[in-house]
Amino acid sequence: MTDIIKRDGSRQPFDATSIIKAVTRALNDAHVRDDDFARHVAEEVELSVQGKPQVDIYSIQNQVEDLMMRSKYKDAARKYIEFRQTRDIQRESRNTLSRDILSIINQDNDELLNENANKDSKIIPTQRDLLAGVVARHYALQHLLPRHVAEAHKRGEIHYHDLDYAPFFPMFNCMLIDVEGMLTNGFRMGNAEIETPRSITTAAAITAQIIAQVSSHIYGGTSINEIDRIHAPYVRKTFDKHYKQGMRWIEDDEKARDYAMEMTERDCFDAYQALEYEVNTLHTANGQTPFVTFGFGLGTSWEERLIQKSILSNRIQGLGKNHKTPVFPKLVFAIRKGVNFALEDPNYDIKQLALQCASKRMYPDILNYDKLVEITGSFKTPMGCRSFLGVYEEGGQLVHDGRNNLGVVSLNLPRIAIESSDETDFFRRLDQRLEVARDALMNRIQRLDNVRASVAPILYIEGACGVRLKPEDKISKIFKDGRASISLGYIGIHETINALYGNAHIYDNEALRQKGIAIVEYLRTVVERWKQETGYGFSLYSTPSESLCDRFCRLDIKEFGIVPNVTDKNYYTNSFHLDVQKKVTPYDKIDFEMDYPLHASGGFICYGEYPNMAHNLKALENVWDYTYDKVPYYGTNTPNDSCYECGYEGEFHATNRGFECPQCKNRDSSRMSVTRRVCGYLGQPNSRPFIQGKQEEVVRRVKHL
Amino acid sequence: MNYQQYYPIDVVNGVGTRCTLFVSGCEHFCAGCHNSSTWDPSKGHPYTEETEEQIIRDLGDTRVVRDGLSLSGGDPLFPNNLDSVLKLVKRVKTTYPDKDIWLWTGYTLEGLSDKQQQVVEFVDTLIDGKYEADKRDLTLAWRGSSNQRLINLTELRDEENYDL
Repeated sequence: MTDIIKRDGSRQPFDATSIIKAVTRALNDAHVRDDDFARHVAEEVELSVQGKPQVDIYSIQNQVEDLMMRSKYKDAARKYIEFRQTRDIQRESRNTLSRDILSIINQDNDELLNENANKDSKIIPTQRDLLAGVVARHYALQHLLPRHVAEAHKRGEIHYHDLDYAPFFPMFNCMLIDVEGMLTNGFRMGNAEIETPRSITTAAAITAQIIAQVSSHIYGGTSINEIDRIHAPYVRKTFDKHYKQGMRWIEDDEKARDYAMEMTERDCFDAYQALEYEVNTLHTANGQTPFVTFGFGLGTSWEERLIQKSILSNRIQGLGKNHKTPVFPKLVFAIRKGVNFALEDPNYDIKQLALQCASKRMYPDILNYDKLVEITGSFKTPMGCRSFLGVYEEGGQLVHDGRNNLGVVSLNLPRIAIESSDETDFFRRLDQRLEVARDALMNRIQRLDNVRASVAPILYIEGACGVRLKPEDKISKIFKDGRASISLGYIGIHETINALYGNAHIYDNEALRQKGIAIVEYLRTVVERWKQETGYGFSLYSTPSESLCDRFCRLDIKEFGIVPNVTDKNYYTNSFHLDVQKKVTPYDKIDFEMDYPLHASGGFICYGEYPNMAHNLKALENVWDYTYDKVPYYGTNTPNDSCYECGYEGEFHATNRGFECPQCKNRDSSRMSVTRRVCGYLGQPNSRPFIQGKQEEVVRRVKHL
Repeated sequence: MNYQQYYPIDVVNGVGTRCTLFVSGCEHFCAGCHNSSTWDPSKGHPYTEETEEQIIRDLGDTRVVRDGLSLSGGDPLFPNNLDSVLKLVKRVKTTYPDKDIWLWTGYTLEGLSDKQQQVVEFVDTLIDGKYEADKRDLTLAWRGSSNQRLINLTELRDEENYDL
């Protein structure tokens, strides 16, 4: 039996009657009737394919064409060819690629245009990026992903993240940039040789350039781990320069020192202001503001303290004449007992400043030093919004900077739960899905085999990845032995538990709580096994699901309809998070979520919804302190929106159609600043709308106080 | 006494993390009051021994440490409420000398009756005065209108003691 390979790659057994039909139709169109001829053509073709296991549909059609052209029915042959061409064009315009391209032109596919809250799809460079993304995704699904992986992705069983970039392009996800190595040893960027900076002003300017370059070569977030420590030497240099200048004119050591300190403080503040503006004005080659995160807070030298204060006071001030809340860089402030936790600690004053900043600008989120070390083995800033590296040593030394994450594939857990008859069935099906996810992740890794350093000089040759490879060197070696992580993600523990066990709310039932934890614990044992078997740094990651919360749920509604308490909200809950509609205190929410990061140590964040806390930093501090020995990474969502119409500052009302000023009812999105937590990042949904499922989720969020 | 609402954990009525009780009963009838449902002393839930026990227990919670108790309403100094409120604030101060008490009232500090005075002796921070809609100011901390005062009684007492 011969198989016909159809246009979409699917197979179908050869069937002579469809040839008879097509030829008859062409004859009819040419006003001819000859059934014997149609049968004759079909027989000829059937003869020619005999014994062949498979034949392409195009070669069949060409044969039919040739046979008809050689016959006396030239008119009918022409009709057949015309018909095929029309069908090809129709088919072409029906296929996803053309449809997606058309939607960029017409600006009418919200899923595509609002998928990433950080991209403004109205502007040309972003449209170019979206177009590249559409093509890359299409090509990867057709030709680069193993068939079963592509199908599982399309059905929404798994999600192969960031298909608009990788595997079409040999890019990875997110990283900790080795800014220290680049600044210390110098590097080449574009046409310029860059040497070690001699002031904080230059160091900050160069850091902005590095961020821009790196963000154009990877698709996830870029983080600078401990920026206070890394930039401290340049603050010192600035001071020395001013001191020398001071001594030249003042000749009084003490006065010269005072002068130098004042100038240094000003320079440092200005340098970080410039850096913040730079980040917020530049556009990477990916058509967006770079996803950049600054980690800081542990340094206790005067230089590091000054940097910490400069970063926070700049953020408190806000951007531009409306003092808008910036969304990037994300700020992550580390808290450690003995450094800044308690009144008697040397940096307690900076913790107070951080609280003030969080009450006004939502960031910084906090990293609790001891808990983070307990869970991930060492202290490091998250890559992007929530991806955490494990322990890796070189020559007996812990290494963090220059390391990266290779990408994520997420499981649709609620789908498996909907399909399962009981718990045993669930784990059996889960095992099958996990195999597909593993193949998908290995596909990510394999795409980077044989790729040379010259593909991204900034990363591999100039030091961002902490290595200085030669252009022709293969890059894959720096991803092995746990130096890089590669993550299995998951979504919707809340809905999974509802689908599996029904009735009770997971929050109210201790047995169900344990079931939720058990699923995540199981996923961890599986990725640990993959790690042992492959030598790659597999980790379990609590997927942010900025747009996935919408996609998985939408596909499941299509497949299974409205399943009460599972698909009926039009979104799935973020990873292990508590249902956003559940009214509990932030303390209870922390207790509910605290057991998960230990298992999902490759990516996590916890947060709580607060009212405006500007008048009550003490209460905010109480919550921060409460988290210290419970969760490693915590954000306080304290909305502080502003209305450019009436001047109101406070929280805007979230509706299904957007946001509204509670005082003057203004709904003009260009006349307001609204900031909300999207995932680990913040977003400004007034100017760049969230995807529908995410907006639904935002509308349903309840305050935890 | 009746009460409208009890929040075992609250961060929007006074500094820090607090227990907040909104009592029923108020005779000021301020125009624009955002809690007018609390005016009628017969509305809400009866305030019982059990309610008081719960407040004392919550204030002593070691997991989520409370900075103190906030009393609002209604008016905690409404004549019918004074017995229960006095008993409560006394007990709170005896049991937890380090925790503070905030109290919102429509009366003014200078015009308090003797019995009201007795309650206020146990209060650390008093927000006094009627709500006046034409003096509404959303930027003020802990108050609705600018005629209302935020009085730190503990500090005042310290100063008086110092003067003596």
